[in-house]
Amino acid sequence: MVSSFLLHMQPAKVHRHSLKASYSLGLGLISLYLLLILVGTGTLLMFYYVPSTERAYNTMKDLQFVISAGLVLRNMHRWAAHLMVFFVLLHMCRVFYTGAYKRPREFNWVIGVMLFLITLGLSFTGYLLPWDQLAFWAITVGANIAAYAPVIGPKLQYLLLGGHTVGQEALTRFYALHMILLPAITFFMVSVHLWRVRKDGGLSRPDEAGDSVERVPLDDLPTNKSYGLMELARGTTPQVGKNPEDEVSSWPHLIFRELLLFLVVVAALLVLSIFFNAPLEEFANPIHPPNPAKAPWYFLGLQELVSYSAFWGGVVVPGLLVLVLLGLPYFDRKLHGVGRWFAHERRLANSIFTFCLIVAVVLTIIGTYFRGPNWSWQVPWKKPPVSNEGH
Amino acid sequence: MGNDSIRKFYGWFTLLGLLVGSLVVLGYYKDEYREWKDYQRKFTQEEIKRAVTPQQKALAARVPVEIKQINLPELNRVDRCTSCHLAVEDPSYGGYPQPLAYHPHHSQHPFEKFGCTVCHRGQGRATTLADAHGKVEHWDEPMLPLEYIEASCGKCHEAGDNPAAPKLALGQRVFETVGCRGCHKLAGVGGILGPELDKVGARRSPEWLKKHFLAPASVTPGSGMPPQKLAEKDLEAITLFMLSQTGETAPGYYASMKVIPSAALGQRLFQQKGCITCHSVDGKGGAVGPALDDVGLRRKPEWIIQHFRDPQSVTPGSLMPRFGFSESELRALTEFVVGLREHKVALDLPSRVDPIERGHEVFRKYGCAGCHGQDAKGGVPNPNAKTAELVPDLLHVADGYTKEELKVRILNGQREINAMDPKRPAPPLYMPAWGGIIGDAEVDALVAYLISLQPKGEDVGF
Repeated sequence: MVSSFLLHMQPAKVHRHSLKASYSLGLGLISLYLLLILVGTGTLLMFYYVPSTERAYNTMKDLQFVISAGLVLRNMHRWAAHLMVFFVLLHMCRVFYTGAYKRPREFNWVIGVMLFLITLGLSFTGYLLPWDQLAFWAITVGANIAAYAPVIGPKLQYLLLGGHTVGQEALTRFYALHMILLPAITFFMVSVHLWRVRKDGGLSRPDEAGDSVERVPLDDLPTNKSYGLMELARGTTPQVGKNPEDEVSSWPHLIFRELLLFLVVVAALLVLSIFFNAPLEEFANPIHPPNPAKAPWYFLGLQELVSYSAFWGGVVVPGLLVLVLLGLPYFDRKLHGVGRWFAHERRLANSIFTFCLIVAVVLTIIGTYFRGPNWSWQVPWKKPPVSNEGH
Repeated sequence: MGNDSIRKFYGWFTLLGLLVGSLVVLGYYKDEYREWKDYQRKFTQEEIKRAVTPQQKALAARVPVEIKQINLPELNRVDRCTSCHLAVEDPSYGGYPQPLAYHPHHSQHPFEKFGCTVCHRGQGRATTLADAHGKVEHWDEPMLPLEYIEASCGKCHEAGDNPAAPKLALGQRVFETVGCRGCHKLAGVGGILGPELDKVGARRSPEWLKKHFLAPASVTPGSGMPPQKLAEKDLEAITLFMLSQTGETAPGYYASMKVIPSAALGQRLFQQKGCITCHSVDGKGGAVGPALDDVGLRRKPEWIIQHFRDPQSVTPGSLMPRFGFSESELRALTEFVVGLREHKVALDLPSRVDPIERGHEVFRKYGCAGCHGQDAKGGVPNPNAKTAELVPDLLHVADGYTKEELKVRILNGQREINAMDPKRPAPPLYMPAWGGIIGDAEVDALVAYLISLQPKGEDVGF
């Protein structure tokens, strides 16, 4: 029954090229596994967690000190969440560098970019829940960045927090978003994402003779169907199996590999979670901000940009970036260079993408390690002088 | 891809399966092994050793290994300290090494009502030694060193009220006499130059506080606070008093329990209610009611209590009003007046009655001496001030001011001090406006004190 289920999740036959670990690096699959682990550990954590400003922090302490396996569960959830942001980003880079977002996979790329944004949202909403100093001030900073958006910014912040500051209302909203709304959207989008992979003919690969994808004119479609699938499906048949001699059966070739990767992910996460504890700072204190207060690491590049200009750094640059990412396959329409890493034909696109990526990484590193009190420059190996905060 | 390529997977599956399996076992072991279980087993062994009959031994051996906790919802605390400190309530463990020592003197504060951390601090929810004792990162409330434990009494009880906390009482006296309130507010009373002290005990460690008193700038760079010359005993006491200022308020049940019916509270009530306007002590006071010096000899405590509760019920026709004292206050007042003669507590009273003495107290309380010198004799430098680069002494204020003028001067202060040389930086010290800080009665007393400083034989007036 298991293999039957797994075989309905994916094609019965799969192209040899798709099995190459050196091509996909398994990044999408790792992201999916992390998501599954997050759902599992998150559900268990829900048994204990109380979304109340008075009790949330205490449940963190109880998880650590008295609940069996509570600490390791929380560690797994926390590290998996960070790793998921990281691997979804890597997955996106892989898809870009192999040109895999091009026709017929444009729409799946758009879904993927949205999933990346939702992953950030999931991680961000979960960040508040422990209700410690780290959570409180990271969300305060994050919500302030959201408020820089023109016209809707302050409204958006108010909607998100249920007020002007982070308090019980914000905790309730983040809880609901984190436990129900965002996971539900994620599951729908992931389903579409996976299904589109099959529908679009499996993983992207270099063009081969007889392997081209044909668009079927709409008029030529059989007329015995009375329904359409809108943008979700194009053409009439799944575009697999066009080149049978290059395909192998998914069981065991694909599924064994997938299961092995799962074990690797679980093992790595267990090592992390057994030996490294998730951070938990003091109980949230609205009148005692840390200096500097920092957003979660994946927003630190953004916070660094905001420190130069709230409008340009907080609105224009990230807004344009998201729009360009979403629209990418629709204005980069040439079909050459698909299915190969760093294809020579795509060196302009790859250069631009690499440049943006490096800038983002450098900004994030600066925000994380090189910013001290009052966001002033500071080298990480030199402790700042003890700040004078009066009594 | 033939079967060979598939076969190699089995090796990987085995390897990774074993790896994951052993990690799960390791995680389980790490989770299952907890420090407190060792202590519980040791305690059980001790109990078995002590048991005499086989039945007792079997009973002792059957005690389960489990987390013990005291749930204190009103205090928002859960104290799991007794998971390791298992014998705190068993006097037969007196003198045992920790964590199995007996806790003496806890009858006034039963564990099931007070737990542990409300006095000792630390992290009640934690179950490892380092975390529970609270000397870890990201925990603001490390355990209070035992020599400062009286500070915790001050969280609920008035510092002077608790006969069991003499260091705390001394600390409060030091605080009120070295002039802290000149710059710092505590409970809304005091100056504004320094930070408020209402929560200082929750923020600062004893070491920090001591350093701060002796050399403020060493822990707070740029602090304008003058170093305090305090005797070791006074230094310890004021540190302890500062530690007691945590800003916590005792909720519900605890608030109702916090009044200690001690003679000190009785004395405060005695002064607040103005008993002295009708009664006299040591010949000072009113003559409407009887003198109270020997009331402890003349009357039994039960009679005095009833008299405070309802004067007319024991002395028909008495003019004394019913004050509506609470039971604790009745007992405190009685404690005080009974001891008036024996304990000579009455000796404290005249200073509160004599406005000049009281004014001197105000002078010390608000730190006037910090600028105007001990007993207002001057000598504190104020570079570039026109007054010979010194803050003026106050021995001759009666020459230049009427009482009203002096009062206005104190309340309004003087922000700009005339400079000797306008090109040099302005004099750093200036007279703060004390309006809103010093109480009305206190200003009057202070003025009386300052006027009284005029050396005898010199004219008062213009």
